[in-house]
Amino acid sequence: MRLTRAQRHLLDDGTGSQRKAMQILLAVGRLADAPRLIPITSAHVSGVSYKMIGDPGLEFLEDFARDARVSVPTTVNPLGTDLGQWQALGVPPTFAEKQGRIARAYEAMGVRRSFTCTPYLIGVRPTFGEHVAWAESSAVCFANSVLGARTNREGGPAALAAAIVGATPEHGLHTDEGREPTVIVKVGVKPRGIDYSLIGLVAGERVGDGLPFFRGFRGTEGDLKWLGAALASSGACAMFHLEGVTPEARRARVKGLKSIAITQGDLAAAKRAHTDGTEAEMIGIGSPQLSSDELREVARLIDRAPPRIPVWVFTSRVVRDANQEAVGIIESRGGRVLADTCLEVTLLEHRFGTVATPSGKGAYYLPSLSRQKVVFEELEVLLERYA
Amino acid sequence: MRIRARGIVPGQASGFALVSLAPFSFVGGVDPATGSILNGATGSTGERLDGRVFVFPAGKGSTVGSYVLYGLGKRGHGPVAIVNRRADSVVAVGATLAGIPMVDRVDVGCLRAGDRVVVDGSRGTIELPDIRAKRVVTAILRNRGRILIVRRSEKVGTFQGKWSAISGRIEGREDPKRRAIVEVREETGIRAITFRGAGDPVLARDGTTIYVVHPFLFDTSNRRVRLDWENVEHRWVRPEELERFESVPRLVDVVAAVLQPSA
Repeated sequence: MRLTRAQRHLLDDGTGSQRKAMQILLAVGRLADAPRLIPITSAHVSGVSYKMIGDPGLEFLEDFARDARVSVPTTVNPLGTDLGQWQALGVPPTFAEKQGRIARAYEAMGVRRSFTCTPYLIGVRPTFGEHVAWAESSAVCFANSVLGARTNREGGPAALAAAIVGATPEHGLHTDEGREPTVIVKVGVKPRGIDYSLIGLVAGERVGDGLPFFRGFRGTEGDLKWLGAALASSGACAMFHLEGVTPEARRARVKGLKSIAITQGDLAAAKRAHTDGTEAEMIGIGSPQLSSDELREVARLIDRAPPRIPVWVFTSRVVRDANQEAVGIIESRGGRVLADTCLEVTLLEHRFGTVATPSGKGAYYLPSLSRQKVVFEELEVLLERYA
Repeated sequence: MRIRARGIVPGQASGFALVSLAPFSFVGGVDPATGSILNGATGSTGERLDGRVFVFPAGKGSTVGSYVLYGLGKRGHGPVAIVNRRADSVVAVGATLAGIPMVDRVDVGCLRAGDRVVVDGSRGTIELPDIRAKRVVTAILRNRGRILIVRRSEKVGTFQGKWSAISGRIEGREDPKRRAIVEVREETGIRAITFRGAGDPVLARDGTTIYVVHPFLFDTSNRRVRLDWENVEHRWVRPEELERFESVPRLVDVVAAVLQPSA
């Protein structure tokens, strides 16, 4: 790989962690036959929840934090619990203690105390064509597809290395060719509510690691967040185009591509396939974390029909702090608004066995990551059912 | 012998091979505290990674594997080097964090547990000091979807009685493709053949010898075969029937290398 003089200097004469970060980028770059490293304007790092990375991750991060410092604005993924409410959630003290140490290790490296899977909702919005290095599959999908920014689906340590060096290997979605669609997906449904998640789940399963070009529906930025999160869960998709909506759809080359169709029947089948529970013990709302609009809408619904089972609502600290009124409504109706954590990385298996959720990503991951049975359903329906 | 690979993590190391023929996950596959293999699927349960060159086709599973490898290296329980067929980023990042030299693009099916292996992750090579290499060509002759296999006679030096494609030793610096054409003519009498492609070399292990097999694909319009002394029987078979024949090592892989070059 061709290196600039500054990059060569970091590799040869940098601090311990700078040299290690360069070595990581070179190893990852060699795997992809990348010609060089390309400068980035932000990084978003995964590998934060103690539930996910355990003691091996904690050990590495504490070692690394001794001299590692990020060189570009960097956000990090959600923690494994809300460190302000863990006792009330019944989280074991050792879990909270180790989670706190992971958070402090990242802070020592200079990352923003964001603990979010939706950096694009708290002001980190790379513009069209901007190169970034993001982990967290749903945020990657959003950045590429909706914002037109450019990032591969980075692994946690690779994104951290990119944050330290300020550059990432140039290949895949950083290049024009890498952003061309590989398959047309015709959707014969006018989606609403969880249909966006369902379209994502079905398409991801069919497209695998391809890049879908969707046709036949429209959606808001919020809708596409849910679609992309589900797509990136069931498939290895880091980007999609939606005709007439996403910024690069117009110039995408679709001539000669294979075409597949998604019908109402496919969505119904996917909903059944991701529902293996019957009696939910809690309702989990989030994954990805809610925007301000979504949080206020949830507050309105819960206010109307307060449920008899626990409701955990996941959002970022920024959004929680900015919406005290909505938080007050939800909590006065028996729900909890958790910040700094999210549905599938949070510790909940110590208390629950079946979770109801309107999130496609949540429905996809809860069985494997949290050993939960799942009821995948619209929030309005769930609130009615568990009123 | 020396095998060309692709360097992923720089550095040199040598040791005895520990081989897993299945893709390996460092999460659940190994005890992080001791470096003992836990995964029965690898066929090496209870063996320890310490000091070994760890050979497996590819990494799989959780991304936490990178951190596990880091911890193993830190406690001195990691392998001294890693050899893959196709490296993935989880293992590559873990090896980098632990400072373990690593190469990939090695046909790992030719390595055996206990082989002495010298890995050079900087130059992208592995060296097998106790293994001899023999370079051979294999010509896959195809006619209307069927390929020609022949049964080797008792007079040839190796693999007597086994089914094989048309093959022969490469002499000195000879061009492998030319050797393949000569062998087809000698062993079948067929002259009208059209070259369709060459596959990446397949490494076939036989004791302390590794045959470096250069595969070639030719089409012919003629199924009339005139065998010479090297073979006693021939058949035109569909590629999927190959498994049913007692063949020379890795014939199926050699055929796949030219029929599905991307696989």
